Amino acid sequence: MSNANTPPPLPPSVPPPTGPGSPRDVPPLPGSHGIDPESLPEPIREELLAPDPVAIDTAAEELKDGQNHCPKCGATDIRHKTGSDLLVCLYCRNEWHGQRVEEEFGLGEGIDQLKGTVIASGAQDIAADAESLMSFKCSGCGAEVTVNTENAMTARCHWCRHVFGVNEQVANGAVPDAVLPFHIKKADAVARIRQFVDKRRLFALKAFKEQFTPENVVAVYMPYMIVDGNASVSVAGHGEIETRRYTQGSGKDKKTYYDADVYAIERHVDFTVDDLPLESSGERGNLDTSSNTNNIINTILPFDTKNAVKWNASYLNGVSSEKRDLDVEHLHPRLEDQLLSIARCQVEPSVSRFDRGVRWEQERLDVHGTRWVSMYLPVWLYSFHQPGSNGGMLHYIAVNGRTGETMGSVPVQQWKLLAAAITTGTFLEAIALMIIGSQ
Amino acid sequence: MSDDGGLGLLLLGPAGAAGLYWMLYRYYRNTDKSHAFERETTVDAKPVTGDHDDHKVDEVKGTRETRIRGDNVSEYRKRVQRIGGDTS
Repeated sequence: MSNANTPPPLPPSVPPPTGPGSPRDVPPLPGSHGIDPESLPEPIREELLAPDPVAIDTAAEELKDGQNHCPKCGATDIRHKTGSDLLVCLYCRNEWHGQRVEEEFGLGEGIDQLKGTVIASGAQDIAADAESLMSFKCSGCGAEVTVNTENAMTARCHWCRHVFGVNEQVANGAVPDAVLPFHIKKADAVARIRQFVDKRRLFALKAFKEQFTPENVVAVYMPYMIVDGNASVSVAGHGEIETRRYTQGSGKDKKTYYDADVYAIERHVDFTVDDLPLESSGERGNLDTSSNTNNIINTILPFDTKNAVKWNASYLNGVSSEKRDLDVEHLHPRLEDQLLSIARCQVEPSVSRFDRGVRWEQERLDVHGTRWVSMYLPVWLYSFHQPGSNGGMLHYIAVNGRTGETMGSVPVQQWKLLAAAITTGTFLEAIALMIIGSQ
Repeated sequence: MSDDGGLGLLLLGPAGAAGLYWMLYRYYRNTDKSHAFERETTVDAKPVTGDHDDHKVDEVKGTRETRIRGDNVSEYRKRVQRIGGDTS
């Protein structure tokens, strides 16, 4: 029997995740630069203040309620046509394919009742012996056709031109539960990438500008795990409230002192998260900004995953895809890290009275239940390889295939940037010397 | 002119150069960006509890620091000591 006075052993420490948050700072608010652009020279200011490609706010009413609109007339009076997989618009009688997994599997409901780990069939562990290459017997002519599921989910029979796709779920992780079809068209993606880069030309690498052809953008379905969770977090630490502020000395020795009360504080919050996306490709999940630019693709999250439809390989016709190679178990540390971050964000308003800040010292996470669904999400990807040591750097510009949110990494011409910085520094220094000299 | 003020003014040039370089580098390369899941995920939270148990444990007199040492109230992603917990 264990001694009742002995506390339970601590779990083994989890290695720091390399996932979202590898830039360990909370990203800045959109549009904030750190330096007021008004104080900068005209050409730099123009670049900074030029408009960004417009992204559809996923919090928009249209997407918030998860309504599907008829692609023909925009009406939402849409019914399932019984006896088929078609949807029919009751307004214009238009019919099309697609069942939203949200209703199909009841994904939006009962998150607060979740217990344990619920894993959808497409998110099951990847079998060690599963092959990426799958061969099919063409139903049209009987020929053997191979699909490499590493990067494609459909193939055309080279004999009879019959197109078919991987529709049944196989244990190699290539077939997800759901797919979110592209909404943003190629021309739109090209325009957004062009607009993004036009704001960043002054100090861009010469080779990048010369070779810039946004028409080479490719449509890719990226693998993600969409997680619903139900968790409780407790945090403990110390906070300070200022009680008095006074200055001592005069002239150059004038110094400000503070008195403060120190409080021991604890907070507890129970919460649910709905549709938190996590990269389920090990390579994409590595957000080390010193060696890759995967954080760019991470930034264009989230997607309106509520509108995802049940898996059908036809959606991937002609579009490349990346295969999932991480299981739920691998992603658990990253999920826990993000749940803790979300909780810390949630408790912040409750400690606002501690005007000298709070130092959290301990945190505790209880995950009551999670639900994992694997999904392919649509991304327009433009890439540029910058040669250099260790294989150089692959710079991405990514456009969210649903909302149009655009983010990118534009390689810089170091000497130009240094020259601009040194020129500005010299100018400021001259002013400083003039002030000192005049005194 | 005091030495402190003079030194501060002399540092204006290097500080301005470094600040502009840093700002423009991040503007082009966006290395500081990632998915702001704290703000952009649908979170349904019950009211935060525990604020009635705050109790004063100490007083600080005459400090020159403007914030509590180790202030991490807005640094949601900086992990602190993890205790217990059930992560089914």
